[in-house]
Amino acid sequence: MNPTSAPPARPAPASVAMLLADARLPGGGHAHSASLEPALLGGLPAADVPAWMVGRATTVGLVEAGTAVVAARVLTSGPHGLDHDAALSTVERAWAARTPSRALRDASRLLGRGYLRVARSLWGPHPAVAAVAARATRSSSPPRAVVLGAVAAAAGLDAVDVVRLTVYDDAQTAASALLKLEPLDPLVPARWVLDACAAAEAHVGRVAACTTPDDIPSSGAPLTEGWAEAHALTNQRLFRA
Amino acid sequence: MPENPFPETAPTTPARPLRLGVAGPVGVGKSSLIATVCRALAAELEIGVITNDIYTDEDARFLRSAGVLEPERIRAVETGACPHTAIRDDVTANLLAAEDLAADFAPLDVVIIESGGDNLTATFSPALVDAQIFVLDVAGGGDVARKGGPGIGRADLLVVNKTDLAPHVGVDVEQMVADASAAREGRAVIALSRTDEDSVAALRGWLLDVLASYRSGAHVAQDPGPMAPHFHADEDGVGVLHSHADGDHAHAHDHDDAVAR
Repeated sequence: MNPTSAPPARPAPASVAMLLADARLPGGGHAHSASLEPALLGGLPAADVPAWMVGRATTVGLVEAGTAVVAARVLTSGPHGLDHDAALSTVERAWAARTPSRALRDASRLLGRGYLRVARSLWGPHPAVAAVAARATRSSSPPRAVVLGAVAAAAGLDAVDVVRLTVYDDAQTAASALLKLEPLDPLVPARWVLDACAAAEAHVGRVAACTTPDDIPSSGAPLTEGWAEAHALTNQRLFRA
Repeated sequence: MPENPFPETAPTTPARPLRLGVAGPVGVGKSSLIATVCRALAAELEIGVITNDIYTDEDARFLRSAGVLEPERIRAVETGACPHTAIRDDVTANLLAAEDLAADFAPLDVVIIESGGDNLTATFSPALVDAQIFVLDVAGGGDVARKGGPGIGRADLLVVNKTDLAPHVGVDVEQMVADASAAREGRAVIALSRTDEDSVAALRGWLLDVLASYRSGAHVAQDPGPMAPHFHADEDGVGVLHSHADGDHAHAHDHDDAVAR
């Protein structure tokens, strides 16, 4: 059996979204905390984590989501080739401008590299994945949001589901990391994940409607950026970022 | 034998360095063993090391301070508090680090990957390593080798470390090695002390043999498990459901087949 051979029928986009949201998918995400470990080390009280999760879901989470949505739009419009590469460059620059912390950009590119392994393995022949893979260098990769855009284009995910997937994945990553960092009933942060997703709902339509890099939300979280920079310099980390 | 499900470790493509895993419980001397290997082979092999510390980059710093390799050739990856996951269920971080190390210091002969000290069930996926050493030490108790488990039973090499401590902890090294050999159905066992030159030479020879076998295309990565409970038909055609974790694996069959399907 060749695991990379194309299946006879296509999975539903919702099934693909579930696969991507499942922490058991081996893409390297388990070593990341969605900025939670840097936040706790930086002094965020554990009691504030639910509010912090809502904050992410309505700020930096939307930057990631908008980047993925626009990358997918770029990759599904017009003929493939050089035009797409130039357009993807613009998307990446827009994302980088909205992600001032180098530590966070590096972490996102590392996640993108792991995600790209998944994408090439599962949707390798698709032109959208090939176009993003062509932008990867030996030791770097487009950020995860751009790779997610390629997967969305390849698998036919709706833009609203790309937004919800991004917000959910971020919240669940933080919730899962929290259990390694603070003593807690594991069911408690599950509620917080849903609360974060609910808070993002008001923004889903507008972010899903983004078509150009300029449309990507620029809602930042300066404390998170600062905490990420400090965390990258410590040598007592459970998580990469 | 079904086709190899791990094409990156297929025996026909040894274009990259041999990837060697070193696993075993906390405190058995994995970092020290790696330092010993580097000291014994650094003059003839190009080596890189990746550590999977749990809470800190202490293992990486220990190896750098041991002065056996250029510090840049020793890198640490984070495991998200799941050292077991990082070497088995999701090897992404280690795989990317191994690729980077191989590219940055090409041509490397061997990339050694040290697992974060976990427990007796932690073994490397063949998607990450071509061969693996499982390490125990005499100070952990003479009975540990008898307890078995996938690493003790089926790693490419079992090392019984710190044999120089045996008189101080009341362990009979010969008996421990005999127990281990029995649990491993004849697979390689080395009783090691970094102060015993003969034992270091045996470890060095084992690694060079594996490397030669890997380069010739003869070496096939083995998966020690862990295995879920599984089914065998016995001679009368009656099925037996058993688990290898319970120690009842006194029968011969091809474990790799079970994993490869």
